Amino acid sequence: MNKLVKGLAAAGVAAAMSQGAVAACGDVTIAEMNWASAEFMANVDKIILEEGYGCTVELVPGATLTTFASMDTKGVPDIAPELWTQSVDVPLKAAIASGSLHKMNPKPILGAGEGWVVPSYTLENHPELKSVLDVIERPDLFPYNEDPTKGAFVGCPAGWGCQQINNNLFTAFDMEAKGWVLVDPGSAAGLDGAMAKAVQRGDDYFGYYWSPTAMMGKYNMQMLDFGVPFQGMDDWLACTTQAECADPQPTSWSVSEINTIATDSFMKNNDPKAAAYIKGREYPAAAMGAMLVYMADNQAGGEDAAIEFLVNHEDVWTQWVGVQAANLIKKSLN
Amino acid sequence: MELFDEFPSMGRKDLVGLKKGIDFAFRDFSRENGEAIEGFFDPLMYFMVWFEKLLMAAPWPIMILIFAVLAWLGARSIGIVIGTIVSFLAIGYFGMWEDTMATVAIISVATFLCIGLGIPLGILMSRSNRVQAGVTPVLDIMQTIPSFVYLIPVVMLLGIGKVPGLIAVCIYALPPIVRLTNLGIRLVDKEVLEAAEAFGSNYRQKLFDVQIPLALPNIFAGVNQTIMMALAMVVIASMIGVKGLGVPVLRAVSNQYLALGLMNGLAIVALAVIFDRVSQEYGKRLQKHRQGGHGV
Repeated sequence: MNKLVKGLAAAGVAAAMSQGAVAACGDVTIAEMNWASAEFMANVDKIILEEGYGCTVELVPGATLTTFASMDTKGVPDIAPELWTQSVDVPLKAAIASGSLHKMNPKPILGAGEGWVVPSYTLENHPELKSVLDVIERPDLFPYNEDPTKGAFVGCPAGWGCQQINNNLFTAFDMEAKGWVLVDPGSAAGLDGAMAKAVQRGDDYFGYYWSPTAMMGKYNMQMLDFGVPFQGMDDWLACTTQAECADPQPTSWSVSEINTIATDSFMKNNDPKAAAYIKGREYPAAAMGAMLVYMADNQAGGEDAAIEFLVNHEDVWTQWVGVQAANLIKKSLN
Repeated sequence: MELFDEFPSMGRKDLVGLKKGIDFAFRDFSRENGEAIEGFFDPLMYFMVWFEKLLMAAPWPIMILIFAVLAWLGARSIGIVIGTIVSFLAIGYFGMWEDTMATVAIISVATFLCIGLGIPLGILMSRSNRVQAGVTPVLDIMQTIPSFVYLIPVVMLLGIGKVPGLIAVCIYALPPIVRLTNLGIRLVDKEVLEAAEAFGSNYRQKLFDVQIPLALPNIFAGVNQTIMMALAMVVIASMIGVKGLGVPVLRAVSNQYLALGLMNGLAIVALAVIFDRVSQEYGKRLQKHRQGGHGV
């Protein structure tokens, strides 16, 4: 019975498709997350889906956990272009198992990840610092302004998925006993500001950050090797990411999983070609890095950056869409 | 016709150039003077660190006793004292003691700083219409500009932590005390002043023995509003690395932890109500006492 209904629905969609691909796409809501690369991707998706596939796209502002919760419970927005899935691992698995959400694209951005960073001049001035294990022996290089006898490690803003991980790694590497303070920067603005302020003055800085970001490129930050192996996904999920982790073990950061997530209604009700585009788009690290620095240097928003990208990186995005859609998009840019 | 359809704006390129120019100028400024400005605020920062540590390290029964005594000295009302004790016991019971002490520390310092700067500024404004005309728009800006806008330069200059947080709080909390001090002094009856003059009061005597005492209800309303606004900024200050009740609120907001957000939010409210009642009662009492003293 169920299969029959699904079959009929599919036939209906196919029929609608044949009547005119452009009209069939329908309304799509895309999460425009509150950081540059996601904002940029959401705007590229909007232009490509609107101009290339005739969808009506609305961007919905969001953050990882709020957007995911809304997608999971309300089915809105339809697409989260850049979701760092580890922070919502358990509920996401449940939602995928129940069929309400779909993983679309395991590598929307190539070469992305999280970790602990220092400015590159810190490594040049202190060549003996090769990994996190070396850096945590030298709190004296990174004095904490409220207590200069201690070293400051700037962690993750309160409420971010990575905050718990940093807390646990701070314990695991026994950093408190080594003379470190875990500083909570409070917000993305606080984290960026702390890093920008330190690097602009040429001070040494040690903290959490992630790539690809304009901040990493602009301030020439280096992600450190942790110097210990990754303890495995089971330990990571069961302990390192959990507040209740009693005895966290030193481990390197897990390789970040970034995915484009879409709701079931997007898969069912919208043009399958649009879904195929979402599944196929992969931003090379160089192109993404260039766009992020462009956004930062020109204080450009996601929309400006998306137009800049579509105009100047045709070789990248034309591979993601069909010839017909590519021509429509190019026409709209002129 | 085109002129009417499209606003003659500056042009994207020039606009970006202008914005970049301002940013680079500020960056150079912060590179050159940042350390000196930070050094200027260092004593204040060490005081705040010391004060916060003191409040956190003190045994809780002693702290509650101190709060109760302060509430009694301020309000002379057994109801308010009991309310204070119960609130702090509840805060401690629900595991928010340390965050609350951090918040009390920064709010107290912010309030004293604002009063110390605000009352003299308000008196100055009340003395001269020209100063009033100059300061009022600045106060308008301080109260309405979105706090994130001034957080950017403050963080670029001073980094994250207590001092930038304190500055952010004071920018928002300073205006009411200035405005109400000014207003209070200006509202003092002309006839009373004439009487004071007739008795041969000089300028100082008129100001300190007549105008300020008569303006006290307004000044205390200002102190009260300053405390309330400082408490309202607790969450914003936490966004630039100030410890306290704002941090769990931020955590709750981004994770939909309803109970965590509500408990810490209510702890802020409890602090606000205590500070409000005590300062209001104190203001009222001060006024009665002065009236009695002058035999009015």
